[in-house]
Amino acid sequence: MIPVDFGPPKKITLNEWSEQFRRIDDGIIKQYTYYDNEEWGGYLQPPATFMVYGARELKRLKLDNSFAALRLWGFVFNESERLFRAHQCGKKVIATMGDLGTVPVIVQSFPDCIPFYPECIWWTPFFNESTVLLDRAGQLGIPEATCFSKTVLAAFQKKAYFPEPDLIFASTGAACDDYSCIMNLVEGIGYPVTWLEIPYRKRTKKYYTAEKYGETSDGFKYPLRLESYLIEEYKKVWRIMSDLTGINDLRMLEESIKKVNRMRKLVEKIKELTYTVVPTPLPALELMTIEFGNLYGYADIDEWLGILEMLLETVEERSRKKVGVLPTDAIPIAWITPSADPYLLNLIEEMGLRVAATEYVIRQALVEIEENIEPFRALARSFLNGSLIGSTEERIERIKSAIDKGVIHGVFITNMLGASHCAMETKLIAEKLDRVPVLAVDVPPPFGITKQLKTRIAAFAEMLRQK
Amino acid sequence: MGSSRRNTQDEYSYRSGDTAEFPKSLCQRTETRAVELIGYTSPYIPVEILSLTGLKPYRLLHGDIELSQSGEEYVRIDACPLVKSNIAFVIQNQKRFGAVVGATECDMLRRMFEILEDKTSIPIYVINNPRTRQPGIFYDEIDWLTNELKHLSGRRWDETVIHEEIEKWETLRRNFRMLDKKRKATPSLLSTTSFHNAAEGYYKGGIEEKPTVPEDHSNKPRVFLLGSEITYESNWLLELIEKEVRIIGDFVCGISRFLNITVENKNLEGLKTAYYHQTPGLFKRPNAEFYDYINTQLKERACNGVIVWTLDYCDTYEFEIKRMREIFKLPLLHIKSDLSHQNISQLKIRLAAFREIL
Repeated sequence: MIPVDFGPPKKITLNEWSEQFRRIDDGIIKQYTYYDNEEWGGYLQPPATFMVYGARELKRLKLDNSFAALRLWGFVFNESERLFRAHQCGKKVIATMGDLGTVPVIVQSFPDCIPFYPECIWWTPFFNESTVLLDRAGQLGIPEATCFSKTVLAAFQKKAYFPEPDLIFASTGAACDDYSCIMNLVEGIGYPVTWLEIPYRKRTKKYYTAEKYGETSDGFKYPLRLESYLIEEYKKVWRIMSDLTGINDLRMLEESIKKVNRMRKLVEKIKELTYTVVPTPLPALELMTIEFGNLYGYADIDEWLGILEMLLETVEERSRKKVGVLPTDAIPIAWITPSADPYLLNLIEEMGLRVAATEYVIRQALVEIEENIEPFRALARSFLNGSLIGSTEERIERIKSAIDKGVIHGVFITNMLGASHCAMETKLIAEKLDRVPVLAVDVPPPFGITKQLKTRIAAFAEMLRQK
Repeated sequence: MGSSRRNTQDEYSYRSGDTAEFPKSLCQRTETRAVELIGYTSPYIPVEILSLTGLKPYRLLHGDIELSQSGEEYVRIDACPLVKSNIAFVIQNQKRFGAVVGATECDMLRRMFEILEDKTSIPIYVINNPRTRQPGIFYDEIDWLTNELKHLSGRRWDETVIHEEIEKWETLRRNFRMLDKKRKATPSLLSTTSFHNAAEGYYKGGIEEKPTVPEDHSNKPRVFLLGSEITYESNWLLELIEKEVRIIGDFVCGISRFLNITVENKNLEGLKTAYYHQTPGLFKRPNAEFYDYINTQLKERACNGVIVWTLDYCDTYEFEIKRMREIFKLPLLHIKSDLSHQNISQLKIRLAAFREIL
């Protein structure tokens, strides 16, 4: 149940949020805690607090005015504190890197083991309007033209953004070269890493003869051998976690899978309503934050599930009342590749667009994991839906289908300069989605959104409006 | 500096010209007469297996600036110049390729195979080249590739034929090892510029030719070359470097990396083992073996310095330059280019300065 109704939905500034926040009873604020700890686990704050702590971009952003969104932002911005607290109170903090969504399912099966994704720190320079992490990454040897995930190396080196992990799992292979190099450098500065292999999802072709193919629950065909390779990798993770904790009970993994599926189903429902209902019940920025929560439940999946339930309730209520946060004539577009700068998501909405489909390179974290088969196999089959491990065509097939159905009128691609998959994929994507206008922009570093970029987005919106 | 641009049609005349043994699917292509090459992209793909198809294994190592610009029709301008060039080369010469065999080396290459598949009718085969220690995956992939290429070629691959094919390539590699000994001798008797010219034959499948290279004594400072691929068209870069220093060893694709491969058991199992256990590239995780190997080479070859050459947007090496400086403990020069000659004056000055500090 939503404890406070802040009135009609809208996107509001920090000052407005601070005013709203005063209307919340102290008793309500104390109800919401991480790690279920009433003593020190509170996380509800007016968003302006996080701006004071360093997230300066918040003063430029507009946020959803619901209580559910307050929980979301409080929880997300509290993560760094949460991880340090976890470490202090004896929980195992496990860094999972590169696979985006699967290894944490195993890690969180073990009591008091907290998975987190260091790569999510790539948003920090933008939220903080600071180049500190980017500069330090450069000093540590990372080339200038590299994806913003280079901040991870700086964060490991500075030891101030998350505690020293008890274990590090790093997945590499057919996924992302830049990030593989970054993880390698993390190992190079003295962090022991367990490496996991990510195979390439080869498509079957008419002239192939000697291979048996399987099909994921989401319809991707793959050589069956890949499943066996991944199963062995996940069993390796399990063994290492068992050694760390002294626990070896596969029923815990089955329970973890069920919990993760609950999370994924909730997110799917929220997305579906937000994409299809007019006026749009939730802004794109919050929706992206919700999608990325699927990776690891922001290091406390139980509390995150509660937040998702409240968000869904909010979206359902707004849908029922036919109220939303954007004008009814906002033009639906698809967004491909997540933006490191959250402000861009605000910006396109100011220009009269709305996000009605996404491909944020995390498809493997969005699909449900099969519960009626052996759990490691289920994880393998779930991962084989991955966005970056197959062809570009497979990556964007849902967007293509949405365009064919007429529900998407344009496509917006946010590239990272120097990210190798972006350099190779952008033209391929634009070519394959040529039934609608496509705008591809490079996400600039902090303070880099210029009038020129705004004009390009405005012109794109204008063109779509005229069609 | 102009010895590199030799991509004329004459150069590619196929040794047998025999297409009768290919399966119908391949022979029925209207351009069958022109089919002569099987393209490949990685040192982990056994050339012997490719050669058993009857096609000539042709390493896709193009880096011509015009080809690179043509490739921009298909990918963004900031994509790897090597990949852009190879896309353009294969598309322009598609009638000559019976197949392209790739490995999952990097993001860009994986997309290159997609583009080639979209834009041509050439059969494409991609093997998973594991980045972590996973010989099982590699062996399975080579088995798969072998079966597919057997089917493609329609040829009989009995043990004798396989043995003979391996022996041919081993002989060729032995010959090149003799040349490498001259290159690393003190004083060095052979320039890498000349070695590269000869190695081009290996990469283009010239199995019959015994490499002959003129000796050229040098007492210049001795450097080891690491980094991105040296392309067929980038001999000018080696010439430029060797005006100042002598490259007495390298670990780059396009020069002598194939010398690391020795097939002891001359059968398919032997091939798999030899190719998997070659000196691992920098992209392997962890990559300590790479550093150990290079460190050993630097000592064995009595190097005075290291040059790291990177193509624009070829990240793997560039990420590790700082570590290399720390680990190799030798003067290190990092040079980079997009394969155009635009920064040639700057390169000259930097190379001259590097020689001075050596």
